[in-house]
Amino acid sequence: MAASLRALARRLLGVERTPTYYLPWLTVNGLECALILNNVEVRFEPGKNEGPFPATVVQHDADGTVVGTSEVSVIDTEAAVEVPMAPTASGYGFVTVSMEHLRSDLYVTVSDGGSYTATHGRFEFVETYPLRVRILFAVLGRLLAPFGRTVPAFVRDQYAYSGRDGRSHLLLLNLSNVTNRIRVVAHWDGPPGAARLVAVPPRGARLLDVGTLVPAAEVLTQLALRLEGNAWFNLYLVGAGPRDLAGLLSLMHVK
Amino acid sequence: MSSNLSALLSATFYEAGDEHRVELVHQQDRTARRQLASLDLAVYDPEGKHLVAVPMDTHQEILDLGALVGSVAGALPRVMVLLDARYDERIFPYRPHHYGFLHHRGSTAPALYYAVNAVLGGVPDRIGATGLTTLETYIFLRRAFAERYSVLLGNPARFSTAEAQVTAYYATGRASQVVALPPKTHVEMELAAEHAGEHLQRVEIKALFRLASYVVGRRAASGELVLFDHLFSYHR
Repeated sequence: MAASLRALARRLLGVERTPTYYLPWLTVNGLECALILNNVEVRFEPGKNEGPFPATVVQHDADGTVVGTSEVSVIDTEAAVEVPMAPTASGYGFVTVSMEHLRSDLYVTVSDGGSYTATHGRFEFVETYPLRVRILFAVLGRLLAPFGRTVPAFVRDQYAYSGRDGRSHLLLLNLSNVTNRIRVVAHWDGPPGAARLVAVPPRGARLLDVGTLVPAAEVLTQLALRLEGNAWFNLYLVGAGPRDLAGLLSLMHVK
Repeated sequence: MSSNLSALLSATFYEAGDEHRVELVHQQDRTARRQLASLDLAVYDPEGKHLVAVPMDTHQEILDLGALVGSVAGALPRVMVLLDARYDERIFPYRPHHYGFLHHRGSTAPALYYAVNAVLGGVPDRIGATGLTTLETYIFLRRAFAERYSVLLGNPARFSTAEAQVTAYYATGRASQVVALPPKTHVEMELAAEHAGEHLQRVEIKALFRLASYVVGRRAASGELVLFDHLFSYHR
């Protein structure tokens, strides 16, 4: 029911939904980030396993601008192509990979030179809103922002953890072409706690320190987060150690 | 038990000193909690000895594995934790996947979030996934890091010994290991980071039965965990 109402709303508003494979990237504080493109998962599928497999990689910065585009070819199902992400001043964002020829999960790795962490991307979609809807969201967003609110068109629930040694951040990805005001409310052992309203530029990203949503504690605190956005978005969890963003970081997709 | 319930058996590994939390429901809303009908947690040592079974309160959202199994794990390097859940079928076709948080106390490595291995039920049980989940692979960055790599394998079966072949691939060479895992046993199998002068590129696990399987990366000097990830199935 909710899904069909949502589909109807999309049709009425003229929203275009484009299937897209995307991954996060992180180069904060000198970290190196690289994708691993491959097509190994169709290795045993006749008709799908004959290379080469071309792909286009588009890297979006935190402000949504495209900072790099690469044309890549994965020669065969046993090959893997590493695509380094260009470091930028902000140091994070998301990257899309065309999947007309690839049928495998792609990896994103983050390294401090000594060791590396990895996760994979998501094959979902990005949404494109027509001008009138962008204007509508801009007006509504400005009206609601002073009250710390947004239009809750999309809602996600996510657990996250915060401690002295094991820290977490949210990498909020705006998968639309409208400014996405995302409200994040944290709950832990009781009534709703701290809330933040984060404005994410079109096709942009923002990092939010989970530790700012909960009182500092020596022990690990588990938080139930509710995220509401006026447009389509997703997030990755960023794990950190005691050096927080100055150390190696991990990334993890969510459901 | 009602035939309207669907099973999901998940497996993870707990090591002493870890902050290790596992989510029982997708999210904190009331609907999700209601759909988790029951959950049993069982802990096994590497030889498959049953250490403890813990009936769980399904209203809990997150398990603290350290609090639950830390004392029974004792001096063991690692225990396998099986989470045997029954969900109201209304939760499907969306997968009632468990997610975890992992960080060793005092470690300078980053905290890791990960998806807990679903070894039985879940997607295959309800939505006709065609993936061959006993043949899995994982790709590594090709340059050399000061890391040790391995795969953690556990056999959640009750009666069957499972044989697994673990093959590490290098630029031109490969190295295979075969292990037989009696029921509930588990093992960490090292993968040589280098073989005949070539760096590790990929690992593949073949087994007749679905195993609990994770790829692990540890800092060579300290053993700190930096990679704890599931593998990927062929035939998507």
